[in-house]
Amino acid sequence: MLLKSVNYVRPESVTEALDILSSNEGAAPLAGGQSLTNVLKHRVASVDLLVDISALSELRAITRAGDGSLEVGACVTYDEIDHSPDVRAGHVILAREASHIEDQQIRNRGTIGGNCCLSDPTNNLPPLLVALDATMNIRAVGGTRHVAAEDFFKGYFLTALEPGELLVSITIPPIPVGGGAGYVSLSVATDSKTIVRAAARVRVDGVIEEVRVVLARVASVPIRHHAMEEALRGVAPTAELVRAAAELIGSDVEPISDGHGSSEYRREMARVVARRAVLAAIEEGGRK
Amino acid sequence: MTEQGTTHVIEVTINGRLYSRTVEARQLLVHFLRDTLDLTGTHIGCDTGSCGACSIILNGKLVKSCMMLAPQADGAVIETVEGLANDGELNPLQESFSRNHGLQCGYCTPGMLMAGTYLLRENPNPTEEEIRRGIKGNICRCTGYVNIVRSIMDVAGGHGSEQADGIVGEEQR
Ligand SMILES: Cc1cc2nc3c(=O)[nH]c(=O)nc-3n(C[C@H](O)[C@H](O)[C@H](O)COP(=O)(O)OP(=O)(O)OC[C@H]3O[C@@H](n4cnc5c(N)ncnc54)[C@H](O)[C@@H]3O)c2cc1C
Ligand code: FES
Ligand code: FES
Repeated sequence: MLLKSVNYVRPESVTEALDILSSNEGAAPLAGGQSLTNVLKHRVASVDLLVDISALSELRAITRAGDGSLEVGACVTYDEIDHSPDVRAGHVILAREASHIEDQQIRNRGTIGGNCCLSDPTNNLPPLLVALDATMNIRAVGGTRHVAAEDFFKGYFLTALEPGELLVSITIPPIPVGGGAGYVSLSVATDSKTIVRAAARVRVDGVIEEVRVVLARVASVPIRHHAMEEALRGVAPTAELVRAAAELIGSDVEPISDGHGSSEYRREMARVVARRAVLAAIEEGGRK
Repeated sequence: MTEQGTTHVIEVTINGRLYSRTVEARQLLVHFLRDTLDLTGTHIGCDTGSCGACSIILNGKLVKSCMMLAPQADGAVIETVEGLANDGELNPLQESFSRNHGLQCGYCTPGMLMAGTYLLRENPNPTEEEIRRGIKGNICRCTGYVNIVRSIMDVAGGHGSEQADGIVGEEQR
């Protein structure tokens, strides 16, 4: 397909990229291009200048700090996450999820930063990053700011990023001792479009001390289900109590209806995946 | 920094040969291969990143060439289906596709061969499930995949052919 004429530039540093982005109104960062290329083909957004950030070494590192927290550069690909010993050491759930994104070709190009900055409600990583209480590290010409993943996703294809800003990395705190994470998707087929998802992180010490339950595909962005979390806090981590808590997912969520499932079906399945994600998180915590 | 512009001079090594061309920034890499260099072995199916017909190996990674722009390939080392055969002689994977009827119309075949090549490099002894996941990004409208999986299995190391027989049994059940 022939695209609209476009300018392309490959800066050598993040500073240079930020200078270009802030001084060109029609500029957009190009990361893995596994969504943006299609956007350009369909001419749904007008981009005059592509700023190719994909090879910037500053955006391509994975580091595990002494406290077990993980920092992943925005332009690290899904395949690199999947194969990273640092990711697997403490956040195996991130590696696992990255390994289930669509297909090998997309995993070889698509980046964690692009996956988040697109804010497509069907994308795999946003709900997990909200459940893991990640922090999005953002840079602009003026400096750096940090936004909780929970506050980063604002709507369909909308994030907290301002024009001229770049997501540079994502920091994920360690999964606490006695804690675990779970992620369950109901999909059309293996590694495919998802009907509904849930991600959870828990810390158990006799009773459930901490819990985050995140639902995706029930709203335009991943949402925490506070009522379910509230019902789980301080109770014994049993299958019955988790089931009862998941029943609280009700008319407060109003998922869309589409060819893959009605709103009612999605809500019903949200209870199932939420229950399974929390149980998986509890089980993982128990194994450690 | 590459200069900002709508055209760029790029240098790309494809199947061992260095090409230097001036390209428009908006040109998809697949069009650069097919239209500019006349390397038409790489196919275009969907043009949306969904079918895998345009798959190539770029800097050692399997990618869809309709999902990249030509200037993004500047400096890259690329392998396409044209590079598989040696002096007109099919390589073992190509031979296996022929022997096992891994193709019918052949439209998906260049992409399947590149996906199979990449898969076997990463994992020389894959299970059937690993092969099926490895070619998930490649759509075939003809074969039903059984013979493609068998073709890849047949050149894989270890107990490949044993498992290939298993596939037949499963499909016939
Ligand atoms: C056939 C197909 C199926 C797919 N299926 C799935 C799926 O099942 N699950 C899934 O999660 N994804 C899926 N994807 C999307 C894929 O994961 C994309 O890689 C991802 O949505 C975007 O990441 P990218 O690195 O390719 O970003 P790009 O396409 O390069 O960019 C996406 C957007 O984010 C902006 N951006 C990128 N990086 C930054 C940054 N660091 N700072 C600021 N802005 C930035 C860009 O300007 C652009 O607007 C699929 C894609 C295709 C083609
Ligand atoms: S033509 Fe590139 S994936 Fe279909
Ligand atoms: S052989 Fe016809 S599409 Fe695969």
